[in-house]
Amino acid sequence: MRTLVQTLLASGFFGRNTPYDLVAAIAVFVLSAAVFLGVAFPFAGIVSWVERRVWARIQSRVGPNRVGPNGFLQWLADGVKHVCKEDIVPTDADPVLFKMAPYLVVLAFVLPWAVMPFSSALILADLNVGILYMTAVTAITVVGVLMAGWASNDKWSLIGGIRSAAQIVSYEIPAGLSIFPVVLMTGTLSMQGIIRAQGWAPQHWFLFANPFTFVAANILFISALAEGNRTPFDLPEAESELVAGFATEYSGMRYLFFFMAEWGNLFIIGAIIATLFLGGWQFPRVSNNPVVMNVLELITFNVKVLFLVFVSMWVRGTLPRVRIDQLMTLCWKYFVPIAFANMIGTAIWVAIWPEGNPVAGYIMFAAGIVVAIVFIRRVVFYAKRSQMELYYYPTI
Amino acid sequence: MNTLRTEEMTLNMGPQHPSTHGVLRFIVRADGEVMREAVPDVGYLHRSIEKIAEKVGYHGFMPYTDRVDYVCAMFTNQGWGMACEKLAGIEVPRRGEYCRVIAAEFNRIASHLLSVGTMAMDIGAMTPFTHAIREREMINDLIEELCGARLTFNYMRIGGVGFDLPPGWREKALAYLDHFDPILEEYNALISYNKIYIERLANVGVIAADDAVNYNLVGPNLRACGVKWDIRKDIPYSVYPDFEFEVPIGSGQWGTLGDAMDRYMVRIREMAESSKILRQALKQLPPGSVLAKVPRNFKPPAGECQIRVESARGDMGWYVVSDGTAFPWRVHVRTGSFAAMGITQKLSRGLMIADLVTLIASLDVIAPEIDR
Amino acid sequence: MGAIGSYVENIKDAVTTIFEGMAVTASHFVRKPYTVQYPDRTEVRVQDTLPFRYRGILEVDLEICTGCLACERACPIDCIVIAVEKDPATRGMIISQFDIDIAKCMFCGLCSEPCPTGSIHHTTEFEGADFSLESLIRRFVKEPIHAYKAKKGPETDPRLAPILSRGMHYLDQWAQPGGDKPAAGTEES
Repeated sequence: MRTLVQTLLASGFFGRNTPYDLVAAIAVFVLSAAVFLGVAFPFAGIVSWVERRVWARIQSRVGPNRVGPNGFLQWLADGVKHVCKEDIVPTDADPVLFKMAPYLVVLAFVLPWAVMPFSSALILADLNVGILYMTAVTAITVVGVLMAGWASNDKWSLIGGIRSAAQIVSYEIPAGLSIFPVVLMTGTLSMQGIIRAQGWAPQHWFLFANPFTFVAANILFISALAEGNRTPFDLPEAESELVAGFATEYSGMRYLFFFMAEWGNLFIIGAIIATLFLGGWQFPRVSNNPVVMNVLELITFNVKVLFLVFVSMWVRGTLPRVRIDQLMTLCWKYFVPIAFANMIGTAIWVAIWPEGNPVAGYIMFAAGIVVAIVFIRRVVFYAKRSQMELYYYPTI
Repeated sequence: MNTLRTEEMTLNMGPQHPSTHGVLRFIVRADGEVMREAVPDVGYLHRSIEKIAEKVGYHGFMPYTDRVDYVCAMFTNQGWGMACEKLAGIEVPRRGEYCRVIAAEFNRIASHLLSVGTMAMDIGAMTPFTHAIREREMINDLIEELCGARLTFNYMRIGGVGFDLPPGWREKALAYLDHFDPILEEYNALISYNKIYIERLANVGVIAADDAVNYNLVGPNLRACGVKWDIRKDIPYSVYPDFEFEVPIGSGQWGTLGDAMDRYMVRIREMAESSKILRQALKQLPPGSVLAKVPRNFKPPAGECQIRVESARGDMGWYVVSDGTAFPWRVHVRTGSFAAMGITQKLSRGLMIADLVTLIASLDVIAPEIDR
Repeated sequence: MGAIGSYVENIKDAVTTIFEGMAVTASHFVRKPYTVQYPDRTEVRVQDTLPFRYRGILEVDLEICTGCLACERACPIDCIVIAVEKDPATRGMIISQFDIDIAKCMFCGLCSEPCPTGSIHHTTEFEGADFSLESLIRRFVKEPIHAYKAKKGPETDPRLAPILSRGMHYLDQWAQPGGDKPAAGTEES
């Protein structure tokens, strides 16, 4: 960053007496705008299209396939439609809070990208408290959602907002506790540090490091789904109960912001899990050229994240929604005690094998493969028994 | 000293709400997530169907009966047909009765599929809904081939049915049933046995057996409370005595007897039983005519009659008074959904808002059937 | 089973049932979608895939209409209006008006059932959207036309014969009241 600003100053583009801070501010502004507009927002849009297609296939449907090749531009059409719509602020709503809420939600979605470890070199800021920062800023969502629910002056919105507050605050705890085992094993909170502590091979991932981390990974994934308001935890916007929850009174651009943040959050959920448990961007060292290596790492990281995004879509297509009291039961009676037990278990494990137990990784990985094979056999069984026509292509 | 003060709020659920099937309205008094009471407000879909009957005559009323309950129109058709036949003393040919049963049982499966599908959707799972609707579309395809319409069938006539089975239809129907039975199993694996789903349904909206009888609940809602009452078995009509089938009743296996899960599972099991009846009916189909000789200008002798049909939503009563002219003097339909709406107020006390949605879905309330 | 037992049981239940559910949904990734991509991405027009008995928009073959008014009488909502006059010259019937208000029609099929020649019949056409209610009234009589008179023997007029045979085939689909023999297209058990 500093070198970039100095280069800019030296080029004389900004004139001679421009203060360093001003140029730095402009550079930061332009760069972050480019990242968010060029990466984060299109990603959120494309994910919305992918999700609709994935969901459609699960449901024996086709999904959006008219705008652009295979409906790829559907997200753009939807975005343009929302932007063109009238931005209605209800008469009795609190206008300032009502207008501000979507920005806060989007803020919570864009801030984590600062510590997103795309590859060994591609990271905006390798904070030494990276993972803590990530969990902290994603929790800003709750403020926006609560604000939206309150400011709408609508009872359904209010219930949605309150539900969301209860849900996100509660699930921060198991999510946080599930990060601890990894921190215990690595001794760092930095995203890059955690990734460097793992290897490229599955048996060296923290997912398979020991039974406790495996459970922690699952709890973290589920808690992250709950924080991202995803099915089975989409209570704040439960459309069959609360119309559209906190977003009931919103329209146009502001409505779009909420859902863009929701879809974009999928990437962040995936990135947290991939970083902590799936070895992040780790790739076998096949070349000494840093550019080649970085591209390969970037691809590895994105494949892992997109797989997790796909899993969350798939979960959304399968599970029903839990009730608010069950949501709390699940959090406080199941996840929190188990996460605590995990933490203690990992501490003991680390005390016994400070460098980690290599055999455990292989055993855990083998067990994972067995489960995957059992799963595939069930899939084949269901596909065959239904006597429906099979069709293997992703597009139709 | 300040104490924590809570305030009741009045929520207006419907008539435009995504989970009120059609135009239902509930006035909900809630304390946060917990409801004090939900008062049903009926009458948003009243179309004076009973009055129309007095104006259009006996033959002409048949298509209107489709609209009494458009999800299982075969039963309303059958009820009207049977009432008129009883008034005029017409005997339906045996093949006609079989065609009626076949169409009606297919319709029962279709209706229950819609019910369990929308139930899953109200709980928040979208996929089972589309799977159920997919199966329902396949049944609709069959019925469309049989009578030319997918929803408002107008298949039956006074004295039989309008159409005989088309060539090759029986094989198609049997092939469909072969496809349907594993799909039902798959549906169970997908959603019915899902832990979250069971947790959402079990112990919600528990109806005691005597309450159910007192509130006049009928059909699957009544049977889920453990009361074995099925018109097909207890007051046999049509050719139902020819078939062997079970009457599934609630077991309380997942929670309390008479909860939403029991009502749901009774519907699932009834679909399997309907499939059994259909196989038998399609195999035993006798030859002959399907429609008795009924004069075009149908004038039943003066009198009154009452008919009970086991529709997908339970005991459907048809009460017809004739004064000897071509128009009925009075027609009354007694439907299950109206009674089911009556009990929601009692059941809703102390439930959560999310449970109200479950409750409505589990009672399988169809809005047009409440008001007619 | 104690409290801990049911605790573990709950977790086990949740994991196994979700596992099964995910397997079912995963198996749908390799199944063909059931969607019909109406209107433009179907192999044949959807109208052509509909069964013969499909009750679409009504159509009248005036050439074989006998002017008997059976359909007008049968219609429960009076959406059919027919005007028939006696022709003083030939003493035959002249149909001067045959209107069907498709906006009112509920596609019940009661009109085509009593038709003696199958003149009024449902088609498989269902795309009836229009810009005004007025244009939904189908006026079949362009200029007054002589009603068809049923002949003793088979139809000999080469112009009318195919129309009549189509009409009679349509009628065969309906159960003939009082007929001892099962209607055409019935399989024997």
